[in-house]
Amino acid sequence: MSAYKDKDARINGIKDQIRVVPNFPKPGIMFQDITTLLLKPKEFKDTIDMFVERYKGKNISVVAGIEARGFIFGPPIALAIGAKFVPLRKPKKLPGKVISEEYILEYGRDCLEMHVGAVESAERALVVDDLIATGGTLCAAINLLERVGAEVVECACVIELPDLKGRERLNGKPLYVLVESH
Amino acid sequence: MQPGFSILCFQASADLPFLVFYQRKGVMHAAASLLNSSNLSLRFASQTQTRLSPWIAAPSSVRLPLNRSQNYRIALPPLHSTVSGDSTQPQQMASADVKAQDPRIAGISSAIRVIPDFPKPGIMFQDITTLLLDTKAFRDTIDLFVERYKDKNISVVAGIEARGFIFGPPIALAIGAKFVPMRKPKKLPGEVISEEYSLEYGKDVMEMHVGAVQAGERALIVDDLVATGGTLSAAIRLLERVGVHVVECACVIELPELKGRERLGEKPLFVLSLGLCSKLENFIKPSD
Repeated sequence: MSAYKDKDARINGIKDQIRVVPNFPKPGIMFQDITTLLLKPKEFKDTIDMFVERYKGKNISVVAGIEARGFIFGPPIALAIGAKFVPLRKPKKLPGKVISEEYILEYGRDCLEMHVGAVESAERALVVDDLIATGGTLCAAINLLERVGAEVVECACVIELPDLKGRERLNGKPLYVLVESH
Repeated sequence: MQPGFSILCFQASADLPFLVFYQRKGVMHAAASLLNSSNLSLRFASQTQTRLSPWIAAPSSVRLPLNRSQNYRIALPPLHSTVSGDSTQPQQMASADVKAQDPRIAGISSAIRVIPDFPKPGIMFQDITTLLLDTKAFRDTIDLFVERYKDKNISVVAGIEARGFIFGPPIALAIGAKFVPMRKPKKLPGEVISEEYSLEYGKDVMEMHVGAVQAGERALIVDDLVATGGTLSAAIRLLERVGVHVVECACVIELPELKGRERLGEKPLFVLSLGLCSKLENFIKPSD
């Protein structure tokens, strides 16, 4: 589901602050740049508030954020709803014991890691990233959490690129976004 | 002993030697040579994870952590602080002329995990991810920074990739400032300015978006940890190049052995916790 369709008054302000940069990182890609949103305190706060309003009181004890832009949105949500924040990182960044989940990219593979012991079985978790495209990264995040017995309640992103059908790749997990970009 | 020094000795347990630090101008130094001149006999230290409470207060006192996982006791009183506590108590020293350490600090310090030999042998890695799992300690961390910086007319919080992205945005949101990510090369789309900086071996580059900040703005730079200060210095230069006034650098952890504070020159640095980056045997020499 998306807030865009719910027509919250704050949505247009948030969408207007997202900058589209053509041909980044390579020709043909229209890059959705959230850094301009972060320069606007009101709209950045509205973004966080919309997620917090949705998730507080839902007994969510874990917010998992995907490196690196998930680190920007995840912690403020975690702090506001009283959940712990768990960074999901590229390989070899997390010290100590980790579990890894490989996933497919357009060309090649990548890997997402989470600390052993960060999340306990039966905890209710939210996965946060700035954007969902094909859903590959989010799918890897869901797998990591489910492997340790956590229940992924929902995935939350600021932006969805619906044409890439990432929503279908989430193992049936619900997805909530604020803005769609076609 | 020169004036202006404070000495803290503590002993992790009865069978370990004293670990001695001295503090001068707010900077902590390992005091191996001091030990020799003081005729303290040393036995070889086993590796101990040491967490030191910082001095947020005046530099004439050093405070001991109330650490859940370690037993420290004060072996010798400091020479130049006013100590009113009983030196055999495993508690903080109190200095009459210094304000008390914020009670939230102990919980923050003890929530940070030290991982030996990461990313390479000999490095004691200060892992803040365990702090992020402790909802109270994480909230307290942010609150301590917010209390310090709100109402200081700071309009920019710059956070250094990637762990500065965790602490910077909550601070920015609470004080009503914008958040500016300082990133590794080729991550930021559009026009950027770059600043090269030195690593232990080689160089790296930090980038910031053109137009993210305006000349005359007042900025805070946030990262999880300051080691040598190279990364923070690059961030300062990036912001100053576009006419921004960097008010302060704020980190959760400082590694005083690496002298990052000196590398920042006149830019103030505020930290919540101190960490040792070496194994004890690397900087206490056994007596012959």
